[in-house]
Amino acid sequence: MIRIATLVSALALALLLVAGTVFAQTDPGVQSGNRGTGATIIVQDPNGFLPFFTDGQNRFQTVESVSGNPAGNNGLGPRFNSISCSSCHAQPAVGGTGAAVNPQASFTSNGTAPDSTTPYFITANGPTREARFPFFFNSNGTPNFNSPNGGVEDLFTVTGRSDAGTCNIPQPSFNTAAAYNNIIFRIPTPTFGAGLIENLDDSTLLANNNANLNNGFGISGTLNHNGNDGTVTRFGWKAQNKSLHIFAGEAYNVEMGISNELFPQDRPLPGEDGGGGSGLTGLPSNCLNLSGTGYPEDTSNPTLTPNSAVLDDVSAFANFMRFLAPPPTGPVTLNGQPVSASTIATGASLFGSIGCATCHNPSPGKTQVSNFVPALSNATVNAFSDIEIHFMGTGLVDNVSQGGAGGDQFRTAPLWGLGQRIFLLHDGRTTNLINAIADHESNGSEANTVINNFFNLSTTQQQEILDFLRSL
Amino acid sequence: MRPRLPRCLPTIAVLLMWLAQAQGQAAPNGGDFSTNIVPEAKVPTGVILVKGAWSSASDSVTPVPEDGNVSNNVFTNKYFGLSYPLPKDWIEKFKGPPPSDSGRYVLAQVRPADGYKGSKGSILITADDLFFTPLPASNTLQLINYTKDNLQADYKLELPPTETKIAGHPFEFFAYWSPVAELHWYVLATQIRCHAVQFILTSSDTKLLQSLVLTMNKMELPEEASLFGGTGGSPDPVCIKDYAAGQNVLARVEPVFSEHRFNTVPVRIIIDKTGRVKHIHFLSAFPEQAKAITDALKQWKFKPYAINRQPMEVETGLVFGRARPSLRQAVAAGSVE
Repeated sequence: MIRIATLVSALALALLLVAGTVFAQTDPGVQSGNRGTGATIIVQDPNGFLPFFTDGQNRFQTVESVSGNPAGNNGLGPRFNSISCSSCHAQPAVGGTGAAVNPQASFTSNGTAPDSTTPYFITANGPTREARFPFFFNSNGTPNFNSPNGGVEDLFTVTGRSDAGTCNIPQPSFNTAAAYNNIIFRIPTPTFGAGLIENLDDSTLLANNNANLNNGFGISGTLNHNGNDGTVTRFGWKAQNKSLHIFAGEAYNVEMGISNELFPQDRPLPGEDGGGGSGLTGLPSNCLNLSGTGYPEDTSNPTLTPNSAVLDDVSAFANFMRFLAPPPTGPVTLNGQPVSASTIATGASLFGSIGCATCHNPSPGKTQVSNFVPALSNATVNAFSDIEIHFMGTGLVDNVSQGGAGGDQFRTAPLWGLGQRIFLLHDGRTTNLINAIADHESNGSEANTVINNFFNLSTTQQQEILDFLRSL
Repeated sequence: MRPRLPRCLPTIAVLLMWLAQAQGQAAPNGGDFSTNIVPEAKVPTGVILVKGAWSSASDSVTPVPEDGNVSNNVFTNKYFGLSYPLPKDWIEKFKGPPPSDSGRYVLAQVRPADGYKGSKGSILITADDLFFTPLPASNTLQLINYTKDNLQADYKLELPPTETKIAGHPFEFFAYWSPVAELHWYVLATQIRCHAVQFILTSSDTKLLQSLVLTMNKMELPEEASLFGGTGGSPDPVCIKDYAAGQNVLARVEPVFSEHRFNTVPVRIIIDKTGRVKHIHFLSAFPEQAKAITDALKQWKFKPYAINRQPMEVETGLVFGRARPSLRQAVAAGSVE
């Protein structure tokens, strides 16, 4: 009996040691408290843009209807992922990323999408998501590997809503796509400080790209480009969007189904519009012009006052994001105890030393002179990103190509505001920073040497980096 | 004996579900609504199927830099004529990324195997193509000096670039460390076929790093490996920067691109003894770019290269698409030739 007891104790000790090894360092988690995130960057306002920020902030939170809304917020659908910008861009403030409670999980029960089925990957406390099918399907239902798709497959339809007339369209077959592993997800990118990123000159990013090559980690990186004029694109998970206007206009059209001055038609799904050889010719006629106002559903409003109201929604959204201040850094609490400033400073230094900052550059440069507000001029952009796309290997590959970015290339995610983000990586697969760091390492990833450096640090040093990251 | 009925049930169930859907729902009007599941046709997890600009070559026989591999605990790279027996119990856990459009290769990333009892560390083997690097360096020595002169503030120099010999060949050796991370970097570099080939050893344990340097003496390297030479030659082609320019080009046909792209397309070519393109290696190109450039280059004709009237094959570089801006500054004169 004694021997058995000894054995049990030894096993328990061994398990404790293993557990201690696995959990020796801890992600401090989402930092609570108001850091002031979501405020405007505008301090001096010689041109009178502050009302445009406020107006955009209001419109960003407006819930859209399909038709009949006397306030004029019509045009939702016929397909959509959500019903307002702020429903997805919510954490920790309006303009951010997905919140702890996913509003999409309620759409089928609260009348937003009464005849839709909640997709299996949408849960009340999971990440707010959009879905894409990397490949079109063959007629027999199998993925066609010779026909890349990658467009957004909206999760819900307006079918069954009282303001949607007779429009009756099915959702994409998410379960079938899952059965074939032909589905990937994206979560909303936060937009704090976006005006600074927008105002970085291409030459600044190119110079930074070259300077970054002087590293001992095997990292290269390149920039994504606009297909028309060849200039550097910078917004979105693959840096596929050129400007905040394009970013807003595309999202309004793709995520909410609202046509606008940049994307003037209702958007069918990729396969609904002939993509992949489907032979289909678009949305059915009884699902078009559901607002009854014609196209685009969002336009400028020449007769309205004040002057900010003249703008179309897309321009208002762009102004809101443009004038959002970068997320302030803040204190960190770990296991209920405050982390010292010196620990965070050490973590920042370690972050640079082991190579993280080669891509997650604390500042890729200063902005060009702004014609909007002085705060956007000659400003240091502490984005912790080089705005480049990097090969991230088989661990993060989503097989979606956007612009010049291939299936495993992603923009270096700006880390400012990371301390208050809940869901991490492009698809929100984890809430744990350690997992997110580990997932940077796989066959074909530029980050492998850096991640190996991280895990070769002492437990204390790793903890200092984690603490630092949650201070951002 | 296998029960027959249960095996039929799934089929019947699927059929019934299909019939129910066919009758109960409006006909799908989108493109991606199929319900006919054939599980064996799954998209494989963790496989890069949709590639962006990637490396490729006009033939699969001629070695290219990215084709090195670890087998039987030996890293071998035919292009560089390199063979490196790895330290015991060190492995290549993950492959590196494809070559970059700036001419950088991650040839191998080596680390101790899981469960290794000794000190932790890593060996990163890279190559920078001196034809394409935007860094202001024309040879390996300049590249190393540039790195040393531009160390980030986090690092302290431990050993300035110093010439040494590894496996009987000239290498440049310099070292730096991070006081806060307590990590040391030993960089050993030589030049082969107009590439700066670097071995970057990292660990907090300097004794381990010293032992790793000693293991490098077991390497086999081509005769040409040196700091300023490393310009190929028999049996490999001679590498000459910018050979495909000026009067060396006797006939030239521009590629016709089907799509408007804005990426940089660095291309290494081998010109045979008669002046025709024998081999094309794209470090980074979209497939349609590679095809258009291949179709064009096959029609190019060059002035044959000879040393002492002896015809030689030449390896050189061309850039199509958008040229990267260069960081080249006032660097001491020196030719890759």
